[in-house]
Amino acid sequence: MRKIIKFVPLVLLIVVCVFFLLFIIFEKDPSNPPSALLNKEMPKFSTPSLYNKNIKLSSDNLKKNVNLSVNTNVFTVEDNIEKYTLINFFASWCIPCRAEHKLFFEIKEDFPNVFLLGIAHKDSPADSKKYLIEEGNPYSFVGLDQNGKIALEFGVFGLPETFIINNDGKIIFKHMGLLTKKIIDDEISVLF
Amino acid sequence: MKFQYFFKYIFYFCFILSSNSALSIDNLDYKVKELTLELRCMTCQNQSIYDSNSDFAQDIKILVEDKFKEGLSEKEIKVFLTKRYGEYILFKPYFNIKNLLLWLFPFILLLFSLGFFIKNLKKN
Amino acid sequence: MISLIGFSSLCLSAFFSILFLIPNSIFKINIKFFLLFFRFSTILICISFCSLITAYVTSDFSNFNVFQNSHSDKPLIYKISGAWGNHEGSILLWLCMISIYGFVYSLMSKSLYDFKINVLKIQSSIFLIFAFFIIFTSNPFLVNSIEVNEGLGLNPILQDPALAIHPPMLYLGYVGFSLVFSLGIASLLTKNDDKNWIIETKRWSIISWTFLTAGIALGSYWAYYELGWGGWWFWDPVENISLMPWIVGLALVHSLIMIRGEQAIERWIIFLSILCFSLSVLGTFLVRSGILTSVHSFASDASRGLFILLIFFLTTGFGLLVFLVKSPIKKNHLNLLLINKTSALIINNILMVIAMLTILLGTIYPIIIEVLTNTRISVGGPYFNSTVLPVLLPGFLLMSIAPALSWQSNKIKKFRVYVVFFLILSFFAFIHSYFTVFNTWGFLGLILGSWIILASIISIVLRFKLLISLSYIKSINSFIAHIGVGLMILGITFSSIYQKEYNFNISVEEEININDNVLKLENIQVIEKENYQSLKVLFSLRKKGELIDYILPGKNYYPVSKMITTEAGIYHDWLKDIYIILGNEENNTWNIKIYLNPLVSFIWIGVCIMIFSGFIAIFKK
Repeated sequence: MRKIIKFVPLVLLIVVCVFFLLFIIFEKDPSNPPSALLNKEMPKFSTPSLYNKNIKLSSDNLKKNVNLSVNTNVFTVEDNIEKYTLINFFASWCIPCRAEHKLFFEIKEDFPNVFLLGIAHKDSPADSKKYLIEEGNPYSFVGLDQNGKIALEFGVFGLPETFIINNDGKIIFKHMGLLTKKIIDDEISVLF
Repeated sequence: MKFQYFFKYIFYFCFILSSNSALSIDNLDYKVKELTLELRCMTCQNQSIYDSNSDFAQDIKILVEDKFKEGLSEKEIKVFLTKRYGEYILFKPYFNIKNLLLWLFPFILLLFSLGFFIKNLKKN
Repeated sequence: MISLIGFSSLCLSAFFSILFLIPNSIFKINIKFFLLFFRFSTILICISFCSLITAYVTSDFSNFNVFQNSHSDKPLIYKISGAWGNHEGSILLWLCMISIYGFVYSLMSKSLYDFKINVLKIQSSIFLIFAFFIIFTSNPFLVNSIEVNEGLGLNPILQDPALAIHPPMLYLGYVGFSLVFSLGIASLLTKNDDKNWIIETKRWSIISWTFLTAGIALGSYWAYYELGWGGWWFWDPVENISLMPWIVGLALVHSLIMIRGEQAIERWIIFLSILCFSLSVLGTFLVRSGILTSVHSFASDASRGLFILLIFFLTTGFGLLVFLVKSPIKKNHLNLLLINKTSALIINNILMVIAMLTILLGTIYPIIIEVLTNTRISVGGPYFNSTVLPVLLPGFLLMSIAPALSWQSNKIKKFRVYVVFFLILSFFAFIHSYFTVFNTWGFLGLILGSWIILASIISIVLRFKLLISLSYIKSINSFIAHIGVGLMILGITFSSIYQKEYNFNISVEEEININDNVLKLENIQVIEKENYQSLKVLFSLRKKGELIDYILPGKNYYPVSKMITTEAGIYHDWLKDIYIILGNEENNTWNIKIYLNPLVSFIWIGVCIMIFSGFIAIFKK
């Protein structure tokens, strides 16, 4: 018994150092926690359009076999084609959002089967509209989340944040902070 | 031998007193405060939701209050939040299989050392 | 130019360190000259650090480090303290201290040459690893590639006197343990039976521990008075990191004070010596590698993290290996009765080590879980309060009577006196709890804190001599130290459990009444400073109509980073603190939080007494 105890500190040292090594090598970022919602079903929500409060998009609309209604003024996708939705939380007062905004036009061009849902988080409709006029509107649909409840449902606490949902309604990608070309090339394009 | 009484005395007191503090207070503010003290403000450096003045903290405070008013228990609210923000938002980790080592570690050590102490005592 | 001097002296000092490590058989010079290499290395590293400070004082922005962290408008003291307010400068200070500790030891030590040289060789090796770390990954003498007129570093939060001395004090503690480590390992490697090393280890560990106590206290003091979060301890990862060597250092100091020649305790002391420094290096790793977020995180990158991890692995591994291989096998028997001094010492050590391991596990558990499962959990204050405090509780209870215990028997002199006083005390504590809030922790803290103080006073009185000489103070030193701890426990208990919190909405000229204290919002001042806007709300504190003091909580707005920081307004006297934090403002009405913290001063007084007692202990035989 005594012999085993003698080796415990050394063994513990090695184990602990291995964990630290792995943590550094995996490039974990302490300020960016891994998402709790990854690979889980997206939360239910419903959001009115920025341009017409009577038109509402609900989470069900984003799933397969559910056609987007003609009233939402967007194109519908055939049943047998893979449908993906990219949800981007933004606001006119969010500076990094402006920086990543152009990338969404590229995504729209490169991946036409992706439905781009922009959600204006805690923003007045007037400011959001102005922002989209200034920077252009790449989104297929712009929804409002003035009280922040939708963001809360998605576990968002800082802007911008981007999610990708597959046609089963599962969240397959989440990114906190600015999107960059590198992230799109390395992580997003492989999903489609 | 007198020390045995000494220690017993202390522990009996603890028992009596712990039953008193188990009285729960139904006050909503108190419940919100107790829970938000255990929640992490995700946009701050290590502050609790209760202590922080940030936007996020205010949102969560309102959410917690609403959920209490809807009748949810503290545990249910924690589950609601961890589903969305992960267990990271809790300052006090869950007592589940993953965290078993964390919670039991000090008490296992205490037991071992008690054993060691008694064994060495017997030698004398 | 200065950067060149700094860098070359740094490299030269490393070179002399290497020279010192070459075995004497190859060099074939007199041992006395051999020591010159080591001492020369120290002088060189001091020159190096002084050149960094000179660069800061002269605002030499051609040095990249100075450019990033200083500004010509900074007051002189803060220019100097800016030298160690960043990663590169602080680790250079660390390196400097490693060498200085060795230097002072080489001058003061009365041990045999063999032993002395071994100690210095290990100290040199530690010096070298850190020197390489600086030269290759954290060089403070890098030259700025662009021409600049002004520096970037004018963060007012960092311009505070307590914060300026906090790092050097801490480092004096951490690095002091490097000498203790060297002493322990040297005692294993040197073949002699001279027990002088125990006396030396005792001296240096008490010195290191005292500095570490002062460093931690300064940090807490600053956090309470400046940070405005309403507290002085947050179980923040970096605070935990400083607490671990402190706790083990305390166990080490107790073991050293109580050793009577038992070989088992000698082995334990060496183990603790290795452990203390390993924890210091582990702490350095956790803070500077960037794997933990906290208020303290330095900017970091992976290569630095990996290098320090290597340093940690090498030093701790080496220490443990030597301990394993060279430790004497002779078993020795401990005079362990149920409650004599030896058993009290053992219990103390066990509880401290358990407390330290709990804190360690709690701090690194999130890292382990994230590597294994890719989910993140956090282990915060509530966890440590539920686990570490109960473990320490029996320790506090034992602390009250431990100095009065005997070595040989289970008896305490005048035991009945203690029992009677304890019963009277618990009666009063009971009454107190009855008339205020009934809280388990409050009651426990009150009774433990006051009992420790009372029992120590009883012991002092029982040993009272008419003449108060230095030797008398030395003999009651342990009681003094414990009184300090008791005061601290009382202060902690009262300021946390019996803290009262009030929320108010108030506008100018309005008054608030709390107990007898009348707080009136007199006016609001907005001042424009160089790079921030300062808003201060002036409160007057009156009691029975008489003006006692003014309290100034405030907020600062930094336009460049768009950050708002809150500064607490504090009024403190011996019995309580009134702590005001500004919330948000709406229509000229301010939302404020007022905390009434009783007995906060006791915490600081208790710590000062502990530090005083540490000084006295250095001179005890």
